[in-house]
Amino acid sequence: MAELKKSDLVKNWLLGYSGETCYNYERLQGLGNTNAFVPIIRALYPKEQQAEELKKYLIFFNTEPSWMGTVIHGITAAMEEKRANGADITADEIISVRSALMGPMAGIGDVVSQSIAYPILAGVCIQLALAGNFAGPILFEVIYKVLMLTLGYNMYMMGYKRGKAAIIEMLQTGLINRILEAVSIVGLMVVGSMTVGNVKLDLSFLDFTWTNELGAVTLNIQTGVFDSLLPGLLPLGTVLGVWALLKKRVKPMTVILFCFGLALVLVGIKAIMGAY
Amino acid sequence: MVFKAIIVALIATCCTWWFSHSITRTWLYPIWSGFLVGLVMGQPLQGMMIAAAINLPYVGFITAGGSMPGNPMFAGPVGTALALVSGMDIATATTIGVILGSVAVLSWNAYMSINALWVHAADKYLAAGNIKMVRVCNYLPSFFVSLILNGLPALLIVLVGKSFGDWLMTFPQWIMDLFAIAGGILPALGIGMLLNYLGKKKIVPFFFLGFALAEFMGLSTMMITAIGAIVAILLYNFQGDQSKKVGA
Repeated sequence: MAELKKSDLVKNWLLGYSGETCYNYERLQGLGNTNAFVPIIRALYPKEQQAEELKKYLIFFNTEPSWMGTVIHGITAAMEEKRANGADITADEIISVRSALMGPMAGIGDVVSQSIAYPILAGVCIQLALAGNFAGPILFEVIYKVLMLTLGYNMYMMGYKRGKAAIIEMLQTGLINRILEAVSIVGLMVVGSMTVGNVKLDLSFLDFTWTNELGAVTLNIQTGVFDSLLPGLLPLGTVLGVWALLKKRVKPMTVILFCFGLALVLVGIKAIMGAY
Repeated sequence: MVFKAIIVALIATCCTWWFSHSITRTWLYPIWSGFLVGLVMGQPLQGMMIAAAINLPYVGFITAGGSMPGNPMFAGPVGTALALVSGMDIATATTIGVILGSVAVLSWNAYMSINALWVHAADKYLAAGNIKMVRVCNYLPSFFVSLILNGLPALLIVLVGKSFGDWLMTFPQWIMDLFAIAGGILPALGIGMLLNYLGKKKIVPFFFLGFALAEFMGLSTMMITAIGAIVAILLYNFQGDQSKKVGA
């Protein structure tokens, strides 16, 4: 009876991190997954059968591969083990379980890794780095990797031990979504605070002086109008403006052009004010 | 200098050629990749600050299925190298980073398209039962594709980027102002993109809470993260109570 050793599982999990080494539009992580499953297939099947068994991985596949999606590889390894030992599991069944899970796991994994963990970490660490503190990049690297590898390993092993039931349970109870929504709050507060000091829009060059019979009257648009209304109003307005554009499905690239357009207008006004 | 240039080129190559995410996953982000470049070029402090500034517009950067709204893997190392050799200030570096990252979406698309060739080669090897070559196809050819698309430009920037800086110095003041002002506005893109992903109606007020704590009370991002974590735990706990009651 062919059995998977712990070391086979660890190899499979680690090689999964090379899932995007030959990332491509046609099959995305297909080739990388084929590479990751070589140790599993070699441990379970006789030599002449190995290439044939690997073929089920060299197909279109895409999920979030590092944080949460590792669970799919764990589930697959368990299925391969049963199949090699004579259980009635066809190659097509393995393929269909994998493709059924890749979408939901991409959704959850991308939210966890890219819209929660990364912005919170980057938000804090960028501020440290801009202040000249080396803890910025170092904390970013260390915390990101510790979280990623811990989650990735545990998700993989959970998938291996409990099979697809584990993940279906998690998806059905809505527990994940409740946790994610709570953690999103931290992300929102961090980017809210990042608006201050990082987004800069300053109209202090709009400085007017009038002279009448009572003497000179000066008005600075920035300090006299916006700052007295609400400090940070312009940066906040800029962020909300960008958000409004994105909500209308304006592409990020177009928003970049808008930003340059706005900068050009400001330079134009400066020129009219006689700055150059 | 040539030795440094080669190392920077290899860093830039690996920011796109992800040989293992256990190492390269964080190389996607300028705050880390640019810092590495700064270290290699012997200017860790300046490199770190420039890298952080380049990262700002990419705080809301999310890729799915290989489509990218910009290319921070290019902007990070190459932008930092360019800013360091040409002595750029931080606001200008943000703008140059965004320009590089936008143009380099093309090289990302090229990378993702060319790599499909190696998958077809792997198909043939697997049909012939040659598993070892399938693995080689996964690792080796895409390295060279990234080396040409990302490593080579990085190498050239380190070697001849200084003349770019000198050329930049000849620009009239209004263009330099334009770059600096744009550099102040562009970070709004990263924040706006994240708002767009996370900003469900009922939790959007927390964005304004974060803003208010920083602007009106002067709290640091680290402090606000801690407060946010407490709020999140409280809300999660109370939410849990509610659903239990409904269930019972």
